[in-house]
Amino acid sequence: MSIRTTRRATLLGGLALPFAGRLAQAADAPIRLGSLSPLTGAGGSYGPSMVKVVHAVADAVNAAGGVAGRKIEIIGADTETNPDSAVRAARKLIDVDKVCAVIGTWASAVTTAVAPLCWENKVMLFTVSGADSITQLPHKGFIIRTQPNTHLQGLRAGEFMAAHGAKRVFTLAAQTPFAVDGYKVLGEALAAHGAAAVGQVIYDQSKTSFRSEVDEALKAKPDWLYLNSYQPDLAVLLRELYRAGYEGKKFTYGYAANAKLLASVPANVSEGLVSFQPSPDVDSPAYAAVKAILGHEPDPYSCQVYDHVSLAALALAKAGATGVDGQAIHDHVRDIGGPDGETVNSAVDGLKLLAAGKAVNYEGASGPCEFTASGDIKGCKFRFDVIEKGKQRMLEIS
Amino acid sequence: MITELAQLLINGVLAGTQLAVPAIGFTTIYAVLRYLNFAVASHATIGAYAGFVANVWWGWPAPLALLAAFVVAGAFGLLTDELALRRLRPAGPLTVAIASVALTIVLENMVRFAFGNDLRGYDLPVLRDWHFGGLRVGPQQLENAAAALLAMAVLFLFLAFTRTGKMMRAVADNPMLAGLKGINAEVVARLASFVGMGLAGFGGMLIGLDTSIDPLTGFRVLLSVFAAAVVGGLGSIPGAVIGAFVIGIGEEMSVVILDPTYRTAVGFLAILLVLSFRPRGILGERAY
Repeated sequence: MSIRTTRRATLLGGLALPFAGRLAQAADAPIRLGSLSPLTGAGGSYGPSMVKVVHAVADAVNAAGGVAGRKIEIIGADTETNPDSAVRAARKLIDVDKVCAVIGTWASAVTTAVAPLCWENKVMLFTVSGADSITQLPHKGFIIRTQPNTHLQGLRAGEFMAAHGAKRVFTLAAQTPFAVDGYKVLGEALAAHGAAAVGQVIYDQSKTSFRSEVDEALKAKPDWLYLNSYQPDLAVLLRELYRAGYEGKKFTYGYAANAKLLASVPANVSEGLVSFQPSPDVDSPAYAAVKAILGHEPDPYSCQVYDHVSLAALALAKAGATGVDGQAIHDHVRDIGGPDGETVNSAVDGLKLLAAGKAVNYEGASGPCEFTASGDIKGCKFRFDVIEKGKQRMLEIS
Repeated sequence: MITELAQLLINGVLAGTQLAVPAIGFTTIYAVLRYLNFAVASHATIGAYAGFVANVWWGWPAPLALLAAFVVAGAFGLLTDELALRRLRPAGPLTVAIASVALTIVLENMVRFAFGNDLRGYDLPVLRDWHFGGLRVGPQQLENAAAALLAMAVLFLFLAFTRTGKMMRAVADNPMLAGLKGINAEVVARLASFVGMGLAGFGGMLIGLDTSIDPLTGFRVLLSVFAAAVVGGLGSIPGAVIGAFVIGIGEEMSVVILDPTYRTAVGFLAILLVLSFRPRGILGERAY
């Protein structure tokens, strides 16, 4: 029987060739990590620097010889700060690129949408989102977050406002997974200090005008307004509040009261806005490293993704050649953050220690990286700022 | 309660005047070209950004910038219709409508590419509202309403008294008869694209004047614009104005009984009700 070379067989053979090559390479193929951050949308002002930091850490690790003899390759995708787009992007990262971790999801609605894909495919998800509900998902340990949860944030927000004379706090909240929880915790924190949460309006972020919402808020005669917003809607809200003649105090999240907000509203509109955010560990060498990568003072999220990549690399190195996948990160990431072991502030230093067979306690740019079983960070400091004459001034870190 | 309702009514009327301009643009294109051009969304955004360039970068005052918004968005409308949509017209209105959705996404992303995703504001002072009898109204809102009313008045005069305006109405009414009378349907179609998209751009900038702009500015109001046109009667310009008021007032009044989160649903609800009981809209499509 003769072997006939048909066109079809040639075609199939030709198609199969690259795959044969890929299989042979698998053992020393790069380890792929997915960077899934918002390059556009409400989080668009953070994504680009987050991605830059992710790449820089990977480059540093690769320059030092990689992890378990393999290079790290970062595959990027844009969430558009939109759950639909984020799920499509995550599918591509997980199904096509076969990443073993997804890093840097921003905005709780996005993270909530992406999370099931990750845990079902045994891919580790590192996030900077804060909603309580995220770590309450049945994620089997495949979610880790460096952002303090809503509970902790709402508590601190309430304490701060009460300590600064708040008696009646009204909340205007964008429709997010933490709007309801946040209001509840805030109410408890205020009540504990003799103040009260006097109402909440949850608004639709996609609207261009919030006049009726502002009218409803002012009807309750609040002395503080808690603006649980993102930057684009906050800019609109502040204008409406100014126009309405509101003279009381305003309080919001640091990710909303950022440089872009200052650029988009006049100084008299943003005057007196107090914001708070989880404070990175500004004295840490890791923080200095992030600053060097970006060339300016880093935002908390860039600091957090610096830690995400470092933790992923160290967990994989700790797992060794036995398995380089999401399960390996899942199994070892909690051993990396201490408290036992020698303290390191970068992935490269940690890799050296691990290679020498020592235990590692990674403390990163965002602070200590110790996690509870459910994936929450154990403790965190907050930084409070106030806007005066169009510029941000730090009030306190506590 | 009465004061509250009165305030909501004022808000609704002012929102309605703003909404009416792009709704007229949308319905004009439908009247002449017989398809739903969802690219009004991106053209509203393009108008808003053209106005931004004129106002902030070049320092033009707002009324001149509004004119720039009209002209630039109109020119884009003409161009995109020539390049993308016109060839698809023989394939039927549904094909063109779907293509216009694609077109709007492409254009929106071109704006994003050129200007970035950041929120931008016009170079205008934010003024305190005027208060009277427990009610409040913003100076900027009133200026916007005046600009919108002026634009509508000019359009009505154009359609009622100029030769070109009458040509447009003739083609909208009966293209074949208009053709027999020697009216060049292609020229009128181009004019409709220009005027329709120009109005969308004008409306986009009005919305931006009151708030701020980003590449999604137009897309956000698309549903309300569409609802206004459908409620009033697709193809009818007075209908679009009435529809815009119904949607504007409806959306604002809905907060009395609904959580503001569900305000967007008002547009859908209005379409549903009108299509169930009066499928041709409040005025019907042949009303001018």
